[in-house]
Amino acid sequence: MEGVLANLAVGFAHVFEPVNLLVLVVGIVLGLLVAVLPGLTLVMGVVLALPFTYSMDVTAAIILLTAMYVSGTYAGAWTSILFHVPGEPIDVPLLWDGYAMARKGKAAEALGWTLIAAFFGGMVAAVVMVLLSQPIARVALTFSTPEYFAIIFFGLASVVSLGGGSLANALISLFAGLLIATVGVDDTYGAYRFTFNIPILSDGIDYLVVMVGAYGLGEVFVRLEQGFTSAQLEAIGRISTKLPGLREILAVKSTFLRSGLAGILIGIVPGAGATVASFLSYGMEGQYGRRRAQMGSGIAEGIVAPQTAATASVGGAIIPLVTLGIPGSGATAIILGAFLLHGLQPGPQVFQTSANIVYAMFASVFAGIVVMCVIGYFATKPMVKVLDLPEVIVSAYVVMLCLLGAFAARNNITDVWLMVIFGILGYLFERFRFPITPLVLGVILGPLAETNFMTTMISFNNDWTVFFTRPLAGPIMLVGILTLLYPLFRHLRRQAKMRGSRDIAL
Amino acid sequence: MTGPARRAFRAVRSDSRPCAKKAAVTNARLSKIVPYAVAGAAAGYLYYVAANIDYHARAGVLGPDFWPKLILALTIAACAYEIVRLLFFAGRDGEVGGVLEEVVEDSAGKHGEIEARPAAVSHPLLLALGMAATLVYVAAVQKLGFFLATALYFALFMVIGRYRRWGVIAAVSLLGTLLLMFIFMKLVYVSLPIGVEPFSRVTFLLMQLMGIR
Repeated sequence: MEGVLANLAVGFAHVFEPVNLLVLVVGIVLGLLVAVLPGLTLVMGVVLALPFTYSMDVTAAIILLTAMYVSGTYAGAWTSILFHVPGEPIDVPLLWDGYAMARKGKAAEALGWTLIAAFFGGMVAAVVMVLLSQPIARVALTFSTPEYFAIIFFGLASVVSLGGGSLANALISLFAGLLIATVGVDDTYGAYRFTFNIPILSDGIDYLVVMVGAYGLGEVFVRLEQGFTSAQLEAIGRISTKLPGLREILAVKSTFLRSGLAGILIGIVPGAGATVASFLSYGMEGQYGRRRAQMGSGIAEGIVAPQTAATASVGGAIIPLVTLGIPGSGATAIILGAFLLHGLQPGPQVFQTSANIVYAMFASVFAGIVVMCVIGYFATKPMVKVLDLPEVIVSAYVVMLCLLGAFAARNNITDVWLMVIFGILGYLFERFRFPITPLVLGVILGPLAETNFMTTMISFNNDWTVFFTRPLAGPIMLVGILTLLYPLFRHLRRQAKMRGSRDIAL
Repeated sequence: MTGPARRAFRAVRSDSRPCAKKAAVTNARLSKIVPYAVAGAAAGYLYYVAANIDYHARAGVLGPDFWPKLILALTIAACAYEIVRLLFFAGRDGEVGGVLEEVVEDSAGKHGEIEARPAAVSHPLLLALGMAATLVYVAAVQKLGFFLATALYFALFMVIGRYRRWGVIAAVSLLGTLLLMFIFMKLVYVSLPIGVEPFSRVTFLLMQLMGIR
């Protein structure tokens, strides 16, 4: 424990170096701006910031991206509450109680609850992240390839099963991602796969190119097709934040605890991010909360639940990233990219090889939450002013940053062509309601999945049952399969219920 | 049209309405099938490509084709499932949604917020022009150089996006491009395309003015 605290103190010392502190503040402000703008999602923002980190020191790069990730889960709440415009999908549940509270003339109180929820969720998750990471990494050192494959399988199953949209579409999207990851020279045999005699494809397709194209350019194309029609904003006079009193906070303590825990757990599950945490936590509050009947009428619990869970998911998502090298969300996938670009491989060994960077990252979460809340308290009004920017101008810059991001990765124009192709693919996915997250996570986790699967098969003489018979891999695989089948069970139960009520009606 | 004729026409039209409705439903279903048919066909072709991957097989070891073939077989199965579902079961059984989908539906159903938003208007021409401009930009940037190509692209993109404040367009295009050039070439050390003669002269001049080597 003392070792952890000592390492964390060193991490804080890194974060409080003038340059890193400046980077942290810039990251927090950028994350807040990205979250406010409806055309820019949190993941897109972090993707677009990545090229700026290429020449940065690795610690500063990680601090910048982590800070953006933390604050990106918060500021979208402002526009949901004040203008009924969710800055991020994460903030949709805040429309229901946050905006309702604002309409009762209590916008300042709603913003205050959001700030407290983000602070609490973020801090609790950060503490859990620090406490759990090293023990998990120690356990992970004993993992062999079947365990790794089982964890990746569980992550991929959860991204398909927990997401929105049709399950079949999510599966097809995931398979497309896994397939893209196979392009290039295969590790075991050195065979060329799907390269079609195009030299650059021999090196494979960088997942950052896929992410930038599908998340960034694809989204711009979708908005271009809609004619860049921004929502009409209501005129808001004075914007202030009024923090709730201690007695009011204690009255909803169970909501804080429930949502914080849910956020951390959902964050830890590879593939499920802040959006899932926010919606599920709101749904949980609607089912189990003390004032569940009043949800949607503008009560504090309806604000606290989604916001606490969304910010708590950040700490949760960082745990599998640093301990297993498996990103828990789109944003952590980009942070993984930043680690790899600087020659560092997150995973169980990272606490032995680069503990100072990992603890600087942890410290930046704590410091970032404080900076975020201070800016959130004092600067909501100037931040939401960014909504006055014409969307077409913002989008033009988003496209350019996408193009530059793809080019800068390898200084190769072919990557830009690939990014544009994935941008068009991203648009088509949106158009035909195929989710993008499984595609991207398929590309990211595909090589890991294949390597661990093939190595297991070679090591265990093609005996696939080892995935189910080993004491740790077996239960994880089983949970993965149940996760995958869960939506099907729910669907069948719903169908049976509907059929039953139809029979009664007849 | 006379009275009886009009009545007869109405009768024929009312008789044909169910047929027209049925045809419309069939067309809608078929158009929903298209993405799955295309994805399935592409997966089938790629399966063929994977089956012909050139490698030296080792006894008792799975080949490099195993993993992609497994993924492609699963893709084909998922596409086939959706096609069959849309063709034969679409009316009776809805699609299986992810957990989040159901939570959103339940919450939105209770609060009626998501449905309250008006459906977005589609502008396919703007989209086509935007995509074409992006493709032309990528094709031209190495010839024109970063500055000229980007400034032109910015301006064109804003015009395509129906923005008409010409002063802002000019300022945002020129100053924005210069700023990006400065950040990426001077601070991030990315060597952006300088273009070919005579366009490269513009790039070199700007690089000299900004102190970029």
